[in-house]
Amino acid sequence: MQRYDCLKAIAQDTGNALAVCTGWGAREWWALRPSEGNLKTRTLGLVSSIAAGLALALPRRKVIAIDGDGAFLMNLCGLPTIALQNPENLIHLLFDNECYEASGGTATASSVADAVTLAKGAGYKHAAWVESPGEFRAAFVQAWKRNELSLIAAKVEPGQPADLPSLRLDEIENKFRFMRYVEETEKKNILNPGFDSKL
Amino acid sequence: MNAQQHAALIVAGLRRAGIEFVATLPDEKMVEVVRAVDQDRDLKHVPLCREEEGIGICAGAYLAGKKTALVMQNAGFLNSCNALTTTSLQFQIPTLLLIYYAGDIGDRGFTTLGSVTEPVLHAMGIRAYVLRKTDDIDETLCGAQILADDSKRPVAVLLTKSVLGVK
Repeated sequence: MQRYDCLKAIAQDTGNALAVCTGWGAREWWALRPSEGNLKTRTLGLVSSIAAGLALALPRRKVIAIDGDGAFLMNLCGLPTIALQNPENLIHLLFDNECYEASGGTATASSVADAVTLAKGAGYKHAAWVESPGEFRAAFVQAWKRNELSLIAAKVEPGQPADLPSLRLDEIENKFRFMRYVEETEKKNILNPGFDSKL
Repeated sequence: MNAQQHAALIVAGLRRAGIEFVATLPDEKMVEVVRAVDQDRDLKHVPLCREEEGIGICAGAYLAGKKTALVMQNAGFLNSCNALTTTSLQFQIPTLLLIYYAGDIGDRGFTTLGSVTEPVLHAMGIRAYVLRKTDDIDETLCGAQILADDSKRPVAVLLTKSVLGVK
């Protein structure tokens, strides 16, 4: 099972959820769920924190973090911060391939560090391993309906389909389009509300 | 005025600047500011475990339309340099950095930290203003927020013992 198989299993179930991605997962997610509501992050580790900030600012909007083990381990201190806030609208997905896949494939410590135990220890009430794309989808749908902070983790093989289209996006463009999408779907002005006025 | 009253002025300044969302990690010298943020019902307060995650949380909140601030010591600013560079600066995301200036003139214990703070801010291209007097709180915080919002970059306000009302 690869990350792509799991993402494919939920792509149709994510509605207008905002999705924050990291590493190679981004290209897969865009191919499976093209949306202006997708954002690719740059800083290793911050995908969960950025998703949490979105979830806290938009408490009635579903937000999905698509995390990897390298990023997850780098930002372990972010877990108790998220658990303390306990955003009910955040679904934290973790794909654990036990390596820094986007950085050349060397091993992370996740072969000995159990992500679900770490998340539960940090205060996540719901955190569980799943072992197949079917289980992944079932856990995702359950987390969505439950509407409580949840981590869904899957051990996956490294790699992705060879024929994925590359992301034709500059990251600043991605940010602005993402913000415009939030403006449209949340019916609010965010960027330069005074640009064409005397504000 | 005691430290609590100074903190009340600073938090009132944050609100006047339009700040709605504040992530914090305390220094002993600014603990009253953190308490005042926590007690303000109009501010969303996110206590942090490490400052760098606060850059991520504030970035996410900004993307959803919140005006954000991060309250921390200058050691926490140094902890945040990668996120400030590869998230805030690279994606053009503003946030107000309220930094306790440990190792500032007259402050014992952190002179090494104090000596690198402004040079590092400068090297990162983050504009920084030292706030020493309570009379300057509103103008500096409101001005820094406008600057952050308009430039889409973080702006730092360095808080000293005198403006915090502590020894």
